[in-house]
Amino acid sequence: MTAALTIDGLTVDFGGFKAVDGFTTVVNEGELRVILGPNGAGKTTLMDLISGKTASTAGDVHLFGENITNRPEHIISRHGVGRKFQIPSVFRDLTVRQNLEVAASGDPGVFRNLRLHMAGEDRARVEDVIELTRLGPVLGTIAGELSHGQMQWLELGMLITQQAKVILLDEPTAGMTGAETFRTAEIINEMKGSHTILVVEHDMAFVREIAERITVMHMGKLLAEGPMERIETDPKVREAYLGSGGIH
Amino acid sequence: MTVQETSTNSGAVRRFERAADWAIYALFIAIVLGLPLVVDDVFWLNRIAKYLVFGMLGIAIALSWGYAGILNLGQGLFFGLGAYMTAMSLKLMSATSLQQGSDKPVPDFMLWNAEPGAVTDLCCINKGSFLWIPFQAQWFGLAMAIVVPLIVAFILSSSIFRLRVSGVYVAIITLALVLLVRLLIIDAQPITNGFNGLTDLGWLTISGFEFDPYMVETYYVVAGSLSVVLLLGRWLVSTRAGLILQSTRDDPTRARYLGYDVAAYQIFFFTISAGIAGFAGLLYVVAAEFASPSFMDIGFSISMVVWAAVGGRNSLIGACIGAILINTVEATASETEIFKEAWKLIIGGVFIFVVLYMPNGLAGIARDLVARIQRKRVDEGTQTATAAANRRQA
Repeated sequence: MTAALTIDGLTVDFGGFKAVDGFTTVVNEGELRVILGPNGAGKTTLMDLISGKTASTAGDVHLFGENITNRPEHIISRHGVGRKFQIPSVFRDLTVRQNLEVAASGDPGVFRNLRLHMAGEDRARVEDVIELTRLGPVLGTIAGELSHGQMQWLELGMLITQQAKVILLDEPTAGMTGAETFRTAEIINEMKGSHTILVVEHDMAFVREIAERITVMHMGKLLAEGPMERIETDPKVREAYLGSGGIH
Repeated sequence: MTVQETSTNSGAVRRFERAADWAIYALFIAIVLGLPLVVDDVFWLNRIAKYLVFGMLGIAIALSWGYAGILNLGQGLFFGLGAYMTAMSLKLMSATSLQQGSDKPVPDFMLWNAEPGAVTDLCCINKGSFLWIPFQAQWFGLAMAIVVPLIVAFILSSSIFRLRVSGVYVAIITLALVLLVRLLIIDAQPITNGFNGLTDLGWLTISGFEFDPYMVETYYVVAGSLSVVLLLGRWLVSTRAGLILQSTRDDPTRARYLGYDVAAYQIFFFTISAGIAGFAGLLYVVAAEFASPSFMDIGFSISMVVWAAVGGRNSLIGACIGAILINTVEATASETEIFKEAWKLIIGGVFIFVVLYMPNGLAGIARDLVARIQRKRVDEGTQTATAAANRRQA
């Protein structure tokens, strides 16, 4: 199995406070990895470090063998990292279709994009994603007017259109209704296999729905790693969650 | 209504909107180019030519403010640079420049302050006069009118956008810069004629034909240039790059995470916008026969933003029409003594009203109107279809 994402001793030091502290893990190609952890465990910071939003102070991140540590965001993204934010981040003044068209970045340079039409393969990809996310009826809608769930699906759809090889999802079901969460799990399950996915999530029902392997973070460090059953019974994990009521 | 029907309708709406859009462009260009057939007063045509130049400035503002989300409060810098570059060449072509006792043309003002008995050659009248030497070729001045704004804008925007400066800070930097350059020009009196600017210019001459500003041909040069710039701008914002630019305006972080170098897009379009402003400066000098530091007054740069806001900053043609309209009304109004005084107040009030109640300006109103007509057509279409289906069933 090929390692898609290799994180080795990753550390960030905010003036003495280490939000992520010597974190190491390997995510294999096609794997869906869930990252759990109590509030302040450093989950979102970990995603910031991988995607280049925050610069790490020690350690490396490799993507399919290539070192992407602390490169600018758009370069990391071009290497194949896609990121979904906790608060849905779409182009609110553009239509749903335009959002997807922007994401279909066959070539991101300015001069290469001085043309009126997209390449055929990019267009085909946009159509596929419309099908997968069921956004067909709202293609002409301005993205800012979508419902919360639709906005999240659009953002997911943009990551697929972007052809991200490794997808980072930060709480993809936050604020969703039960039905919306279910639909999101469906989309993520369909993405399984063809994408390597790293999910930060709190909703345990949702985690059971999608998870294969789980990594538990605590105070910036790796606490436990393994399949769901083992994690749920791990005494170290139970202790870390004590006070926040354990895993529920 | 089924999913299929909705998406066909939205496709129809898009097609109709696009058709309406092109119709407006075609109508505008036809009016602008056809105006001399109706108006034969060359003084009026000259006046309108100047407003068309302001229309071009409106396009430049809409491109940077509306499409890129970059509020440039110093667009006058690029307009002024374009104007000065053109005026330097045209100054050397004026009759007075040839009568300064040198075998080559020399700007008259340079000799007014020169030491008695100084050499009357551009190389050494004063320390900076050599800068004028290449401007003896008219094409050089005309080329520089666009090239210099492009270069200055490229350097400026590269430093601003690479550092991810955005929003109001860009406005402050550009505002400060236009004031700085204005001061420099006033201060460099020996080579720029300071406060007085460059006046008494020659006419633009292309292969022996002299473009007297009060000639219908000169109007056509301006009107034709505006049409070309408008269509080029329209093409530019319709490209994939134009769409990506709008996405960087909405959410730069998201655009970065899709792999786009946001700064590169901002730099490209900011620079193009500056080039358009420089070209407008060139045309203005051809039509108005002077260049002055007042082009770099803060008030002028802010006026441009007001024109674009009233016309609709998200629409190139809207901003263009806004500029032409406001200037035409202003010229007419200021002929009356009371309005002349009150004009600034009126335009200030209009600006506040537009910002508060119609953020998309005149273009927004037009767009709503088109959408309403289209919706009505679609509804009627559906009704007829349903009626026909009902009849068939019966």
